[in-house]
Amino acid sequence: MNEAAKTYQKGEIPGVIAIKASVCKGCDACKRHCPTGAITGMFGSTHSIDVDVCLSCGQCLINCPFGAPYETSDTVDEVIAKLKGSNVTVVGIIAPAVRVAIGEDFGLPAGSLVTGKLYGSMKKAGFEIFDNNFTADLTIMEEGTEFITRARHAVFGEKDALGAEIGPLPQFTSCCPAWVRYVETKYPALIPNLSSAKSPQQMAGAVAKTYGTKVWGKPAENIYTVGIMPCTAKKLEASRPEFKSAYEYNKKNNRAEAIQYPDVDTVLTTRDLSRLFKKLKINLANEKETDGGTLLADYTGAGTIFGNTGGVMEAAVRTAYAVITGQELKPLEFKPVRGLKGVKSASVTIKDAKYNKDVTINLAVVHNISENIKPVIDEILAGRSPYHFIEVMNCPGGCINGGGQPINKSGSSWLGAIKPWFAWT
Amino acid sequence: MEKQSYQYTENPLHVTRREFITIGGIIVAFLALPAVWMYSLTSSNNNYIKARTKGLYLDDEKSAIRVSHANKSVARYYKEFGGAPLGHLSEELLHTKYINRTKMLS
Amino acid sequence: MHTEKMILKHPLSVRIFHYLLILSFLPLAATGVILYFKPLSESAMNLTMHIHVVAGVVLTLNAVAFFLMAFDRVVLFTKRTFSISTNDIKWFMVLGGYPQKILLGKKIPVPPMGKYNSGQKLFGVCVLIGGTVLILSGLALWAFPHLMPRGSVAFLGSLHTFFALILTLFLFVHLFLGIYMFDDFKSMIIHGKIPYDEAKEMSPLWVEKEIIPLSNK
Repeated sequence: MNEAAKTYQKGEIPGVIAIKASVCKGCDACKRHCPTGAITGMFGSTHSIDVDVCLSCGQCLINCPFGAPYETSDTVDEVIAKLKGSNVTVVGIIAPAVRVAIGEDFGLPAGSLVTGKLYGSMKKAGFEIFDNNFTADLTIMEEGTEFITRARHAVFGEKDALGAEIGPLPQFTSCCPAWVRYVETKYPALIPNLSSAKSPQQMAGAVAKTYGTKVWGKPAENIYTVGIMPCTAKKLEASRPEFKSAYEYNKKNNRAEAIQYPDVDTVLTTRDLSRLFKKLKINLANEKETDGGTLLADYTGAGTIFGNTGGVMEAAVRTAYAVITGQELKPLEFKPVRGLKGVKSASVTIKDAKYNKDVTINLAVVHNISENIKPVIDEILAGRSPYHFIEVMNCPGGCINGGGQPINKSGSSWLGAIKPWFAWT
Repeated sequence: MEKQSYQYTENPLHVTRREFITIGGIIVAFLALPAVWMYSLTSSNNNYIKARTKGLYLDDEKSAIRVSHANKSVARYYKEFGGAPLGHLSEELLHTKYINRTKMLS
Repeated sequence: MHTEKMILKHPLSVRIFHYLLILSFLPLAATGVILYFKPLSESAMNLTMHIHVVAGVVLTLNAVAFFLMAFDRVVLFTKRTFSISTNDIKWFMVLGGYPQKILLGKKIPVPPMGKYNSGQKLFGVCVLIGGTVLILSGLALWAFPHLMPRGSVAFLGSLHTFFALILTLFLFVHLFLGIYMFDDFKSMIIHGKIPYDEAKEMSPLWVEKEIIPLSNK
């Protein structure tokens, strides 16, 4: 199952997704959704995944008509044990996309917004709630400031206060772990263009085990963080060995830490959480709505739209506009970055209040990278890219259609033209 | 040449015009129905994606605060603990470095 | 042989259609079984799939061509195979007298049949419906499995398997009886004609109601 995996650091989960040979019919549907061509096996014969090429994005899994791909990492029982344990504070970090899809696993129509019921179900199961939309807002503060720094450096030659190196434009968002792994395995020359900001999930883990100890009044080693994500690649992301910032910080500040702990202990997909609820006999559809509980569940509208393609960009624009011009964006809905078009772009001309000069910022939003990313990257590598800030999401539609979401039998992720694709090789 | 070798054949008038049209119509409908069914299913195959997208924009619209820089709890995090965006503590906890994985293949 | 009266049972267009059916369906059934059980190596499975697809295309083009160029024969065939009466139930109760003829050498009375006996009509219905389903679902599985809703593709896959199984099993009966009834075999495979007396015995209602003598020029 997990062969010698070369493009993984020690500790990372190699091969989150694998294919059951007995179920696979060799129809090639999965290959057409794979952004990296990681699926091997000729048409008609059983397929398998080359883990060194695979991003763990899970698009093959949610689109296979026969259910052949499956997740090799399943920690539902482990989380239930922690929830039942007496000395553990289990913190559920809920992504935006979960709240509009988990209802589907309980008989509700697709897109039902069930935040309150989700909170209620999680509390019943024993979770503390950490809404990742809070961290999405935090990410905008960090990444938005980073972008303004890079932009003012590029346009006005502004330097970093401490003389640190400032990254190049265009700046890529870095919240999508499949996209990050895509850059790391295929285009390492573009690594400097990635925002240095962690993804909201990883920020949440670090915050939970530092600031969170004050919020919940519990020591870090008794906090067990569970990412609840629409994404299978998040399982890989959480396992990256460098993501133990909270442990490093706590050690430096003389909290006696016996054993290391990661920022995010484990990740459950939306599907995994539904199974967990069902194992605990919790019917989300019937739960009463409750609130999140602490300030770590407090989020704005900008944070919640992170799950849609264009959502991160729109949230960033709302804040960058306000910071640069000193005024709020009106109207707040930034329509050019919304919708399912493969590459969306917009140009915003604003007056930089600090330098009293007009600047034009060219933005792009790319999703469904298997169909859309190559021309954008080629342009950048050729030095011809017009863009300054690019949001990239691996999955068609964004995280709401991620590899960890409930499987919707009445759909597929295909956003392209309805025309035949005759499989042969 | 064949005409000499058989003496009988099927009466072409055995199927009346009315029968022909009825049966022909049923056959065409029988073929058209699955084609129409398959096409209508396929053209709605992204509806679940659009529905989930709409759900999040609805969550945004109902929010009292809709811009990240006005999140009071995020402001409190920075004030009580985090410092400032891109500050020293942010670099430690909220930022990261990436890895060139192509080097691992050689 | 030249003194025997002959009826033209299967015109040339029908025979050509049937030749192409044999050439395409037999490989389809054989490769279909292999594709289902996947016993071979990767490149062998790929080759099997290639054969399956090519044969499927031949079958589809053959069906479409015949449908367009000989629509009257399609209507005729549909009318005949879907016309049922109580005679058909009685025929099935004795299985057309075939087991008795083949295994016991005994001849038993059988209800009067038209051009197609009850068993052939059942086979014809299976071919019409099953063939359509196999062609349409096969096309979807080959060219559209990535963009059709995944539940529908899975459903079409199950339909494809189901009708493939029915037709493949029924095919054995068809092949056996189609060769055993040797006059009919010659009629469909070689020259299209059947002796008048043979037809009068096996398909009396057809001869009575639908056969006319050729007018002399």
